[in-house]
Amino acid sequence: MFRAEPLLRIRLLVLASEAADSALQLARFGVFNPAPEVADALPESPADAYREAWLEADSRIGKLIEQCGETGPVGIPDDAVAPSLADLHELNDWLREIWLACLACRDGEDRIEEERRHLDAIEETLSKLERLNVDLAHLLRADSLLAVNIGSLPAGELRRVGDALSMTGYLVSPFDHVGDQVFAVIAGPRARQEEVRGLMSQAGWRELPVPDELRRHPQAARAWLEEERVRLDELSGAECQVLGGLREKFGPRLREARLRLALARPLAEAALTGVRGKGGLAAFSGWIPRRRLDALREMLETRLRGRYLLDAREPEPGTAETVPSLVRYPGWLRPFVPLVKSYGVPRYGEFDPTLPFAFTYLLLFGAMFGDLGHGGVILLISLALVRRFGRVAFIGVAAGAVSMLFGALYGSIFGYEELFEPIWLSPLHEPTRVLTLAVAFGIGFIVLTLLVNARNKFAAGHASEALFDSAGLAGLVFYLGAVGGVLSLTGAVDLALPAAIVAGLGLAVVAVYKWLETRAGWGERTLVSAIETLETGINLFANTLSFMRVAAFSLNHAALALAIFTLAAGLGAAGHWLTLVLGNVVIIVLEGGIVAIQALRLMYYEGFSRFFSGDGVEFAPLRLAREPGKS
Amino acid sequence: MSAYLNTRVSIYAERLWRPVDFDALTRAPDDQLADILAERGLSQLAVGYRDSAGDRDPLSLEQRIIAEVLDETRVLLRPLGGDERDFLLYWTERFEVSNVKTLLRGKMTGERPAALLGRLTPMGAFGRLDVQDLVHAEDVAELMRRLEAGPYAGIVRQARRAFEESQDPFILDAALDRGYYEGLARRARPLEVGAGASMRNLMGPMIDRINLVWLLRYRFNYNLPPAQVYYLLVASHYGLSSERLRRLATLDSLEDILAALPDTIRAVLDGVDNIPDAHARMDQAAADAAVKVLRGGAPAIARAFAYLILRERDLRAVRAVLRGRHLGLPVEAILATTRRAPEGAF
Repeated sequence: MFRAEPLLRIRLLVLASEAADSALQLARFGVFNPAPEVADALPESPADAYREAWLEADSRIGKLIEQCGETGPVGIPDDAVAPSLADLHELNDWLREIWLACLACRDGEDRIEEERRHLDAIEETLSKLERLNVDLAHLLRADSLLAVNIGSLPAGELRRVGDALSMTGYLVSPFDHVGDQVFAVIAGPRARQEEVRGLMSQAGWRELPVPDELRRHPQAARAWLEEERVRLDELSGAECQVLGGLREKFGPRLREARLRLALARPLAEAALTGVRGKGGLAAFSGWIPRRRLDALREMLETRLRGRYLLDAREPEPGTAETVPSLVRYPGWLRPFVPLVKSYGVPRYGEFDPTLPFAFTYLLLFGAMFGDLGHGGVILLISLALVRRFGRVAFIGVAAGAVSMLFGALYGSIFGYEELFEPIWLSPLHEPTRVLTLAVAFGIGFIVLTLLVNARNKFAAGHASEALFDSAGLAGLVFYLGAVGGVLSLTGAVDLALPAAIVAGLGLAVVAVYKWLETRAGWGERTLVSAIETLETGINLFANTLSFMRVAAFSLNHAALALAIFTLAAGLGAAGHWLTLVLGNVVIIVLEGGIVAIQALRLMYYEGFSRFFSGDGVEFAPLRLAREPGKS
Repeated sequence: MSAYLNTRVSIYAERLWRPVDFDALTRAPDDQLADILAERGLSQLAVGYRDSAGDRDPLSLEQRIIAEVLDETRVLLRPLGGDERDFLLYWTERFEVSNVKTLLRGKMTGERPAALLGRLTPMGAFGRLDVQDLVHAEDVAELMRRLEAGPYAGIVRQARRAFEESQDPFILDAALDRGYYEGLARRARPLEVGAGASMRNLMGPMIDRINLVWLLRYRFNYNLPPAQVYYLLVASHYGLSSERLRRLATLDSLEDILAALPDTIRAVLDGVDNIPDAHARMDQAAADAAVKVLRGGAPAIARAFAYLILRERDLRAVRAVLRGRHLGLPVEAILATTRRAPEGAF
């Protein structure tokens, strides 16, 4: 729980023809994290074609499901085998065929819909033409010297098209505006019609299909439009039948296709990180927990019956940053994992701070927002949200419970400080004590982080950093000496001289270390080491004082409640209770939110930044898809 | 914030290449290439030339160059907000419009998704297209429909209409390009008011160059009729106004067009008798204008934009050198290309 599990680097050599099935077994195994390997002896990428085919098929099935709806849940049988590349190609071709049919249906529907809209626009437009009493037959005569076109174009293009057409002696005369389309008459010398054809096409010009009857009798348009609508309805019915039938006709095979793609997915995913090979061999490289090596061998033996070669070795020294971190957390701790990972993933071998984080975060939250009533409200709301937000809501439950605990310790309920005696102390009445305790907690916290950092540095093989750096043991010695010195100044202890010697020794070691570590000229080294040493002292001092905010927020909580009570006291009965209720809501939402962020900030910046590099690689094993076809 | 940006631009400006740097890059031994590139702030480009690392790097030279430009743009964007930020962000979008064109051409030729994906420029944090989804479109029609549901709907819608009518890939490219540059000119307008003449001094030569070169190509290479040529140009309020472009499009020879240009542009193109030379001269004029803005006391956004124009020009020349070396061309031939490095794939 405090550090990542020991891993082994493995390389599994199998027959290329069994690569898909081997990847499937590794996914079933559940704890194989593929990792790239540079191996000159294995120059080929035998799974690339498989991945490519899988990606295409997966994309197609995704679109088909989007189009046709769900085809029902797909279970993955234990004895199912992965499809071969040839199977995948065949499946892909079939999916392509179906999708193209589906696409044609949808295109047809879209076109019909567009036609319908266009007919509506034409109807509106023609009714205007009727009122103009224009002799369209005469106007649109093909043997006329004047070429006349009636149609529509995007409204935004009208001006530019007009400018361009004027260069050829053409005129554009808009007569209607429907949506983003302008209906217009374009007229000009027929001799130059060829010149404008390309331009009109480029501008998105759509000719209005004026039927012959209409050319002679505009009133005939109504009948023609009606005929067109009936035709479109018939067409649409036919298209809809195809679409509707798609699901019934292909539903079972689509479900099967989803299953096969789910079985093919492990090799396709492994190929992303690099499955290498040569000739008829394929090699999977990656990481597994050391404790599962025997289980892996057993599984491979059962499935591949000796047709494999497994090589396992310990991670090489100095490669911790490339080894993934696999940490197993108990269920109750898991809600806190995302909060830690939002800062970073612990490096392999590094101390995993999730457990201390959970305790310290809750402790800080409770200390800053201690109130039996407010904590109870947070707890109840979080419980109500468990179903919706899942395990994350348990952070709220725990925070509410700790807030209640501190409320009991502080004697505070919904901001009332006098209703019952505090079990421990009342921040409002003993502010100095609260401040002292907060700083003392901060000192303990910082000491702990320095120790953890020293441990991490030792584990990573950086002994000199662990011993002599400002965040290592030398920094800790300085810090303890400085704390002793400050305590002596306040008269709490009488250790001024030894404390000063210890602090001076620690600081001197840090300074010498910085000087030796800086790669620069003599002057620059002196300057850099002096500044960095000074910064060590200032940072530790500032970080310690930063914990005073714990006390400040606990005081703030009581003070905010007092302000609300004062406001409420000046109002009538209704106003009084309304102010109290609203005030408490504000305290819970606003102050609760601020305290949650402040506690997180203290953890991240005063804690994690001191010992937690957070640049580790998360363990990402090959797994079977939970919902095949939804990848 | 403008102080930060000004300082940052000044620091970056030190990375711009001088003729002597191109000379050194052209003549350098192979094993020193990576170091020279890294010294000029081209770390991503250097990777491709360092030992065997380049063999494993799947990015092409163009893609690495664009990655460098995007990296620097990201830094310059940090202090910017409002119209200035919008403008520089839009400036990077032409790489993505170029990806749109690659996708469309790929779908027209039935290219495999994986191969097509490999040819797209990785946009990193600037990417707005779901390229994984787009490469798996079955055909141009499906791709267009997906694009129309995305961030480039405005540019693509117009192109689709034009393409559906004509099925001509040239029309598609022309519509996309025009849509993009009109958007750029529109976004530059508020900055031309705020940042004064300097922004106009950058945009003017660029849009004039684009319009003139397009006009000449459409007119004499593609033999399009004048009205269509005019329609395909970017609506402009710079040196070559829309009114003048209309007149130029009706002229029947390169000489007539050059003679009808405004004095300032005619001076730049003095003695030119072909389109590539006209392009190179206009490009040089735009670069000269950018140098003036960068070295002068222009507002920070104008200096940042000037730097990006010059940086890209440099990188085009670097690409020409690296390609020339790869092809084993003579040193003088390579150096000649650096003096005019025309705008190409990016």
